[in-house]
Amino acid sequence: MARTSAGRATRRAHLLRCLLGPLPAAYSEYAAVGPSSAPRIWTLLVALFRARVGLHALGVSLIIGVVFAPSEGSAQAGDANAGKAVYERKCAMCHGVKGDGKGAGAELLDPKPRDFTSGVYKIRTTANKTPSDQDLFRIITAGMPGTSMPPWDVLPEKERWNLVAYIKTFAADKFKEAPKKLELPKEVSSSEASIKRGKEMYEAIECHKCHGNLGRADGPSRPELKDDWGHPIAPANLTKRWTFRGGASRTEIATRIANGVLGTPMPSFIDSVEKPEDVWHLTNYILSLGPESPAYATLVTVNGTTDAIPDDPNAEFWKKAAPNTIPLMGQVIVDPRNFNPIIDLVIVRGAYNDKEIAFHLTWDDPSQTTAEGRADAPGAAKKIAADAIALQFPSKIVPGTERPYFLMGDATDSVYLLRWEGGKAGEVSASGPTKLKTLEGGEVVSKTVYENGQYRVVIKRPLAGKGEERPTFQPSTFVPVAFQAWDGGAGETGTRMSLTSWYYLRLEPPQSNRRFVVPPVVALLTLVAMLLVVRAASRGRGR
Amino acid sequence: MMRKALAGFAAVALMAGTAWVAAPPFADAQGGGTVEVEVKYSGAADVQTLKVNKDTEQCGKEAKVENIVVGGNKGLANAVASIAGAKGQPTGKKAAIDQKGCKFVPHVIATTPGEVDILNSDGILHNIHTYSTANPSINKAQPKFKKTMTEKFEKPEFIKVTCDVHSWMLGWIAVMPHPYFGVTNESGVAKIENAPAGKQTVEVWHEKLGKVTKDVEVKPGATTKVTVEMVKK
Repeated sequence: MARTSAGRATRRAHLLRCLLGPLPAAYSEYAAVGPSSAPRIWTLLVALFRARVGLHALGVSLIIGVVFAPSEGSAQAGDANAGKAVYERKCAMCHGVKGDGKGAGAELLDPKPRDFTSGVYKIRTTANKTPSDQDLFRIITAGMPGTSMPPWDVLPEKERWNLVAYIKTFAADKFKEAPKKLELPKEVSSSEASIKRGKEMYEAIECHKCHGNLGRADGPSRPELKDDWGHPIAPANLTKRWTFRGGASRTEIATRIANGVLGTPMPSFIDSVEKPEDVWHLTNYILSLGPESPAYATLVTVNGTTDAIPDDPNAEFWKKAAPNTIPLMGQVIVDPRNFNPIIDLVIVRGAYNDKEIAFHLTWDDPSQTTAEGRADAPGAAKKIAADAIALQFPSKIVPGTERPYFLMGDATDSVYLLRWEGGKAGEVSASGPTKLKTLEGGEVVSKTVYENGQYRVVIKRPLAGKGEERPTFQPSTFVPVAFQAWDGGAGETGTRMSLTSWYYLRLEPPQSNRRFVVPPVVALLTLVAMLLVVRAASRGRGR
Repeated sequence: MMRKALAGFAAVALMAGTAWVAAPPFADAQGGGTVEVEVKYSGAADVQTLKVNKDTEQCGKEAKVENIVVGGNKGLANAVASIAGAKGQPTGKKAAIDQKGCKFVPHVIATTPGEVDILNSDGILHNIHTYSTANPSINKAQPKFKKTMTEKFEKPEFIKVTCDVHSWMLGWIAVMPHPYFGVTNESGVAKIENAPAGKQTVEVWHEKLGKVTKDVEVKPGATTKVTVEMVKK
């Protein structure tokens, strides 16, 4: 079940990424930005288009795939020759015709596509280097969450086994050694004691060096990590289980800890924990670090309150407010694009009273970067910018479904941005992603907390907007809202950002105490009326 | 009776003959000599300094990446000198490499196929990540409580060893096919003991400068000096 929902999320993300494709055609003035659009952009767009056509054509099987969990199936001997044809149609675009991971789309992908000629596979259930056929089949079927590798359960099972047989031929000598099944220690079910022991072990074996104190992938060794091919590689964010490359089930997590992830810095721990069962305690601890799935919101609710709204992002008030989790994706419409965004979701909480409206935003960013931090940062040679996030609204909130262009508006319909950058919030009016105008004289306040790889920010402003360029928020209305985020430490700035399309925000009026008074009064009155009717009726019969 | 005796005689003669044929190389190896190889490098040393952002108590505030270390008199350190193409049995000695001050100490070890002890004197998390083709690559965590790990390297190869936690850490394990090798010290000198006498070829390997060979006449029971010059490719 867990795998189905994870698979669905990946599939959704992949489809969204693909669906972004046609937008430039509709807004050709934006597509025309940067006539120097390198040909490789087109190569990728063609690849995405092809992938989309493929997925659409197999839409029915896709729905079946969503409804039923990917069938595991017992290992079958595939036909490598038949697999070659499927490979060249479906896989070569990224993995290359020669299987060396150097397909046309590879340049823009991060993590890079697997180089099959090396015979090195990240995800194995084996104790040696050779993965089992079932391991390869599983990855083809379920894909690799958090990467560009989609689940290929749209292909008939037979074809997937043929692919397994074919990709093995790229490193035939490496597969001469038979896979040796990894024996995990006896399973320990989750309990408070086990989670506690897992936490102790997490600290003792220093998982935090890469994965961070609370598992948010912000450890001090993070910027140095490289895979065996010399490409930079990010540690897993342990609070986002649905992005685990090799799956998020208990056994899958325990296997990764025991076995390591081959070709990456993640080492094997089976011989390096105090007792073998610590592998399970660690698994239980990791499972306790985050939710099973992100539970994305479709509507952002901002609740009314009669109290003052605290500035402090860590205030009890905000812990009680309902979270709305919004997924973000890379901006791939105008140059320079962001094919591998760092920030993949933001958790939004909102509140308003009769004077002001406030937004509480939570998102993971492995490094805190401010504009001032640029010069003395250890990676000063790298291009870095200030971290930033923005809430986008139409400049004027009008009834109806018409909204400005979601990518920061256009010449006819501008947008208003509540934009926080490097610790300070302000207001911006935009009529296009590069046509920004700072609005002066506003009354925006913000407060920022950065801890263990996570930002928590409160941004407040008056409900009523001053002038033409600031919208006024009114209770009980639906307000279009969109989000944009930048990880400055990863060089994201300008159009290199994560974003969303339009969502709706609803200001729920504060619930008054009348709901506790009116229904009992009505019930009482009804009862009295009934008694009167009964009395009148019995008096009439007695006469 | 007579036939039996004849057969016995023939068997003894055959064995003796085999022993006589097998004997000379054995005797030759015993009469080996020492080769003192001096490796020179005229180019500039290449040692980079990095700022350390963690474990400064063990690693110090600065880390050194020792790509090319040149000592006094242009001697090149960390090069492995050996007799090319020689044959011989493993030394049976277990080699060891330590992780101390967030450095592999020594930077290069040379050993015959067999086990190597990997020590963790730092008492912090390191991970032994090897890059090899002939031997299986390993990537094993070595947390603070794991003082020694023993790994097997069975095939001759120059194996790069790194630690991903401290990305500047780099060491080499040279697995040699025979026991006739030495690693140059900080003044660029390596001693090959007990080298087979006669015309031999000395091969010098360096992680950045590749391989260079030079012919040498090894005199039994004496020390032969040879100087090898390495250049940047």
